[in-house]
Amino acid sequence: MSTFIERPRYQCALGGALVTINAIERAVAIVHASPGCAAAADGAAAFGGGYWGSTVHDGRATPSSNIVEREVIFGGEERLAEQISATLDVVDADLYAVITGCMTDIIGDDVRSVVNEFRRQGKPVIVAETGGFKGNSTVGYEFLWDALINQFVSKGLPKKDRLVNIFGVLPVQDVFWRGNLLELKRLLSAIGIEANTFVTPFDDTASLKNASQAALSIVLSDVHGQKAAALFEEVHGVPYITESLPFGPTATERFLRRIAELFNISSAKLNRVLKEERRHYYQFINPLTDLFTDQDFQRFGVVIGNANYAYAVSRFIADDLGWIPYFAAITDILDEQQQAAVLARFATIPEQARPKVIFETDTSRIRERLFAELEKENDPYGTPISPAFVIGSNLDRPLAADLKAGFWGVSYPITNRVVTDQGYLGYRGGLRLATEVVSALVSNR
Amino acid sequence: MGLKEDRVVPGREDRVAACMAYGGSACSIGGESKACLKNSERGFSQAGICQLLPTLGMLLTLPDIAVIIHGAIGCGSAGFGMNVSIRLHHLLRGNPNAKDSLWFSTNLDEADVVHGGEQRLEETILTVNERYKPKSIVVVQTCTPSIIGDDLVGVVEKVRPLVEANILYAHCEGFKTKVWATGYDVAFHAMIHGYIEKDKEGPPPRKAPWQPGQRPTVNVINLASVGKPDEEEIERLLNAIGIDVTIGPNFADREKVRQLTQADLTVSICPTHDDYLVDYLHTEYGIPFVLKDMPIGLENTRNWLLDIAGKFGLEKEALALIEAEEARARTAVERFLPVLKGIRVFLSAGEFRALVTGGLFQELGMEIVGVRSYHHDEFGTDFYGRLVNGQQGKDFPVDIANFQPFELVNLLQQVKPDLFAGHIWDNAWAARLGYPTITIFRIFDYYVGYRGFYEVAKKAARILRNHSFNANLSRNVTDAYRPEWYEQNAFKYIKSGLPEGLQSDTAAV
Repeated sequence: MSTFIERPRYQCALGGALVTINAIERAVAIVHASPGCAAAADGAAAFGGGYWGSTVHDGRATPSSNIVEREVIFGGEERLAEQISATLDVVDADLYAVITGCMTDIIGDDVRSVVNEFRRQGKPVIVAETGGFKGNSTVGYEFLWDALINQFVSKGLPKKDRLVNIFGVLPVQDVFWRGNLLELKRLLSAIGIEANTFVTPFDDTASLKNASQAALSIVLSDVHGQKAAALFEEVHGVPYITESLPFGPTATERFLRRIAELFNISSAKLNRVLKEERRHYYQFINPLTDLFTDQDFQRFGVVIGNANYAYAVSRFIADDLGWIPYFAAITDILDEQQQAAVLARFATIPEQARPKVIFETDTSRIRERLFAELEKENDPYGTPISPAFVIGSNLDRPLAADLKAGFWGVSYPITNRVVTDQGYLGYRGGLRLATEVVSALVSNR
Repeated sequence: MGLKEDRVVPGREDRVAACMAYGGSACSIGGESKACLKNSERGFSQAGICQLLPTLGMLLTLPDIAVIIHGAIGCGSAGFGMNVSIRLHHLLRGNPNAKDSLWFSTNLDEADVVHGGEQRLEETILTVNERYKPKSIVVVQTCTPSIIGDDLVGVVEKVRPLVEANILYAHCEGFKTKVWATGYDVAFHAMIHGYIEKDKEGPPPRKAPWQPGQRPTVNVINLASVGKPDEEEIERLLNAIGIDVTIGPNFADREKVRQLTQADLTVSICPTHDDYLVDYLHTEYGIPFVLKDMPIGLENTRNWLLDIAGKFGLEKEALALIEAEEARARTAVERFLPVLKGIRVFLSAGEFRALVTGGLFQELGMEIVGVRSYHHDEFGTDFYGRLVNGQQGKDFPVDIANFQPFELVNLLQQVKPDLFAGHIWDNAWAARLGYPTITIFRIFDYYVGYRGFYEVAKKAARILRNHSFNANLSRNVTDAYRPEWYEQNAFKYIKSGLPEGLQSDTAAV
């Protein structure tokens, strides 16, 4: 059973589906919902997503049926058909995705029949029923992928040996999805593997259409995108593996070794790439050593974010920065099985660097539960995790202030900086994260 | 009916016959039938906003308030953006350590849609009251609980005696009205009922009417698009002619909202924003009002000030101030006039804001070549004519559109203005076409009064001096629309509100 949530760190199902479509080049959403649904979802992305504003088909330009009382009473199917037809006439895109809101799902518009009429005419229109009451962004992402997999991706194409599909990195929920995926693409390409990442500005709908050619899907999350990958296997026969987001040298090397092994990449080639990337990282980290050691920049880490980030960041600060992860709060809404998967992932961190993990959606409850843990430490001076550093979202700044801790925001929502091509994935992403947190420590100078 | 009696705030299409879809010109709009305007709509539409968003934007400004959004998990997700705006407002008010806004979603899911969400709402109010101890709680009704029949008021009245906090409520279901400006009314309704009509102490008593010789106090109704600098300019001008000012109800606490009932006059700086509240203060507290102009541009500021001064016999003081201020402002903008002369401007914003800003540009020697207004109501009608008169009868296209950038870009490519002045979220569409843009409001800058006149001139001259960001952008972005769209009438998808069969005949007349 659900409960109320304080300042939810996600959008609704419609929002998750909308931002995913918006992130696919030359795809456009047709929102069949009340007038404010697209704007609320879009507003969340525009601010919380590090100022990911409109591009061309989105924001205020998102086609939307804007249904009001009349349609709620008499049905909105006719209005939807009119809207789809006009959108096809006016808007230039390769893929038109009808997504629905609470009202249309509750009144029971037969949107599939309406869309099928256009599909029969060969129009590239798909439909997903994404009423907000069905869940959050993750649920919407999975619904949209269900629609893409069943209604858009071509079936029966010949396989390509070294092509992979990437799932589990949600636009906006991962504020750095573009930078992360582009770096992943670059690294995989360096070892000879082509990756369909789908949601960067440099992907196209052709790669989406032909995604069934992939030899493997990689889900970079224990909880997000799992359904999409499983369905992809069922419908298109592409098996999948689950990995965590590889932030920094240690995690990235482990990740690339696993992938190279699966694809029989020669160890000479792999080692050459690893060596070059590692060198890039340490050639920049090395000169920071005076600062890092003289100023005692080891910190107790408090990491707050979704399952992907809470683990990947904890792992990076443990493995590469040599910090002590103390506490990790997972803000996703997860069922028991999903929680178990996340805990199993955290269990792979060596015990001396393994944080306490909690599942908590509400910002103020995270604070309460952290302070309860601190109380239990029974520290005579009341500062068991000083010096501390909080890596979370903008919502967690007050907590950092209360702890007299450093702070850096990497999780949704991020409203105090602009995100373009930054990312934390790989060696270079790790270097960026190291640079940013150390910068936060010297920012008062 | 009015704010006091309305259990639920009526949509503005019904209350003031507001129109959301019209394509025509400044000369034609005044002659259209109201019924026709209010019923017209689009066969192709792009995302609007709903009344929840302005309601939420206003209620979140109230200090120490917890907002409970009763609905599915996404309805409040724009709260992060509103929090940014409110933080910045606080910063300008010298309050850098203001707490982040606090809101909750009752997170209705599929089971709740079947079984109802009243119990969840009740638990949420009680838990939020106990755990967070806010001074006020406002409960906001969204589409889903409304359609499944949750009795929001019933739940609120049940728990009201059990909680310390003032409880406000707001019905702002997105599907209930096309006119999202209704959300302003809903927020006023919530504040007045929560802090006055249903307050534990009851409504404050009526104040005795103003007597000549007393120093008057006036309410100035603030709005999200008017920042601290503009509030300061308004206060400065009114203080200078001997009038004290209470600014609210945004950012006002309970006491300040109640204080609004004790003024000698209510002054609107945006009639289309304020009329519902102004009417309440007039009807229930006998407070006279000024609800006609927005003090943007010299003439509008003059009319606005003289109207207010006239209520208190301060015309002489006002005229002296106006003469001195106008002379100073005119001298100040002289250096920008050569650059601005003859510049053709396209405006896009809420109707009133767009039109009065047009007046300001005309005073700087510029010409209005198009207006996109978010909605149309009677407050704006005369101002279209005034703009036409202000440029020797030269007409210009008017698009009444709750955004609809597809119409905007089509119009822009026909009109090809020298400058675009738009509300936030409007400017990017013009920028991508390469037009120089200035934002029609920003809470950091002056727009109203004499300082505003100078600052807008300076801003326009600055952007005209170098708009390479937009120019380069236009050469490097793709277009969302098919090329054929630009060859069609920008208003092609607007359907007249008249019954079918009457449409063509009436158009010919």
